[in-house]
Amino acid sequence: MQTKTDLRSGTVAFDRRQVYRPFLERLNPIASLRDLADRDVIVPRDHDPCDAGQAPIHVAFADAAELSRGTQMALVGGIGSGKTTELLLTQKVLSRHSDAVNIFVDLANYTDLNELNTGAILATVGMRLYSLLKKRDKKPPEEVTSAHTRLRELALGKTTWVPAEQWLDYDNDEEPEAIRVNVPGLMRLRFPALRREVKELKELLLNIASPLLDNDAQITLLIDGLDRLIRPERFREYADQDLQALRGTKLTIIVAVPLLLWYDPSRFLQDYFDLVKHIPAAAAGPGDLAFLKQILERRGALELMDRAEVTSIARCSGGVLRDLLTLARSAAAYAYRDDQDRIGRKHVLAAIKQLGNRYLAGLGTTKRLRLRRLAASNEFSIQDPTAQELLVNRQVLEYFDLGREFFAVHPALAKVLPKPPA
Amino acid sequence: MIDFSATTAFRLVRQLAVAGRDAPSIYLLVCETAAMGAVRTDLEAEVQVQLGVDLRSLSSAEVQPERLGDVFSHGTAWPVILITLDRWLPKLADSFDRNIVLLARSGTVLFVAGRDIAERVLAAAPNLRNRLTDILLITPDETFGDPPA
Repeated sequence: MQTKTDLRSGTVAFDRRQVYRPFLERLNPIASLRDLADRDVIVPRDHDPCDAGQAPIHVAFADAAELSRGTQMALVGGIGSGKTTELLLTQKVLSRHSDAVNIFVDLANYTDLNELNTGAILATVGMRLYSLLKKRDKKPPEEVTSAHTRLRELALGKTTWVPAEQWLDYDNDEEPEAIRVNVPGLMRLRFPALRREVKELKELLLNIASPLLDNDAQITLLIDGLDRLIRPERFREYADQDLQALRGTKLTIIVAVPLLLWYDPSRFLQDYFDLVKHIPAAAAGPGDLAFLKQILERRGALELMDRAEVTSIARCSGGVLRDLLTLARSAAAYAYRDDQDRIGRKHVLAAIKQLGNRYLAGLGTTKRLRLRRLAASNEFSIQDPTAQELLVNRQVLEYFDLGREFFAVHPALAKVLPKPPA
Repeated sequence: MIDFSATTAFRLVRQLAVAGRDAPSIYLLVCETAAMGAVRTDLEAEVQVQLGVDLRSLSSAEVQPERLGDVFSHGTAWPVILITLDRWLPKLADSFDRNIVLLARSGTVLFVAGRDIAERVLAAAPNLRNRLTDILLITPDETFGDPPA
């Protein structure tokens, strides 16, 4: 099969784009996961990645949501490890019951995550629930509609016109009637008190949800995006308010959390949530390698490359699912550029080098030193801030095998990491 | 010096055309500061000719970290946005990182930066780094010797 351009007529007898384009679409690491789910190219794991004897994460989450309403669950994993996929799979399993109401939100689609934004989860869920109720019933009960109106005001603000005379000029000579004085208490509370606005949002949300809760519906909130806050303390600000507000309600929540919380010495994650699941990088053993290869094969890899190339890509992805797709996609782009109809060994090697270079960018001397020590002697202290940065950036990957957690340099990065000067 | 794959505006846009308008992509294009203007001009022309759409070009100062939704809103069938990272703005890098879903659903996003800024962005924005379709060294078309589009 070759491209043959008829120079005289300018027509293309064979269009190689049609070979690669569908493959590239299926491999796009930032494509909408919903589209991919619709195309049936998502491969669910058949067990918990940390324990082969346990059910897969999405099944464990769905079971807990169905059996214990109000459960709060956390999904932790590095960037590109497949958290969103697990949440979508959970949502799919939960939909097996007709009374299931599943609200999936990526918070960044609704609110600016740059600023502390407590109450955003409650407000977003309230608006989404109301929209769902409106679809089912054109005229929801009056108390639900008024709760939604007030919730929107709190969330989005409002503009009102006030007569000018109601505004008094501030008189500098006038003594204020009272000055606010805060006296700290002796007891350090496990969770800070809910802010007034958060309390109100909670009540409004429960009002909106009442027609569903009164009918014993199973409501599950799947919250994505907060894992991108990276720093544990930023996430805790949401947990201390929004998640705490949902405690004791029958609203189940499953939330993606930053990877560093898994290693937080305060053990907040394990203490706060009822169920915590961790997705480490895959590829620690032969079983994981088979899982990675299956992902590529489901997306049509064998139509364009041999099994040896699929294996190389799976190994050098380090088990980071997004890197797996990036490598395959990149190799396909190299092959297309070379005017080849199939992806060869040299295209895969070029893709691995390119991915390694992406991880190499921005690495200073200290970080390179840490990586070399890890590669040479497994020396890596996760409480060290530099080590944490390497882990968050996926230059170092966390693995879990036979009950043992360990760290390793990303295999693509290891291939391009310069040797230390002699 | 890291040896990223090299490209030109012609080659990059050809690649975008192959992927098609339904494939969202985010590229970080590293180039010499002196060549930035020429690269921008090349990209504008190639996007217009090969994709048939207008390139929306912004400097980093024109992007407000707290208003990314405005920048990455869908206005056309195939939005192609070029953001020149001509200075180091940590708040902006942080905002791209946390709100990466806004970029990932916005057609094609091209970041152009000098080597130093590119490395700083990569180090500060792990979510962005992980979702980049590719990092490429881009040079003006004539330097590379590609045929004109």
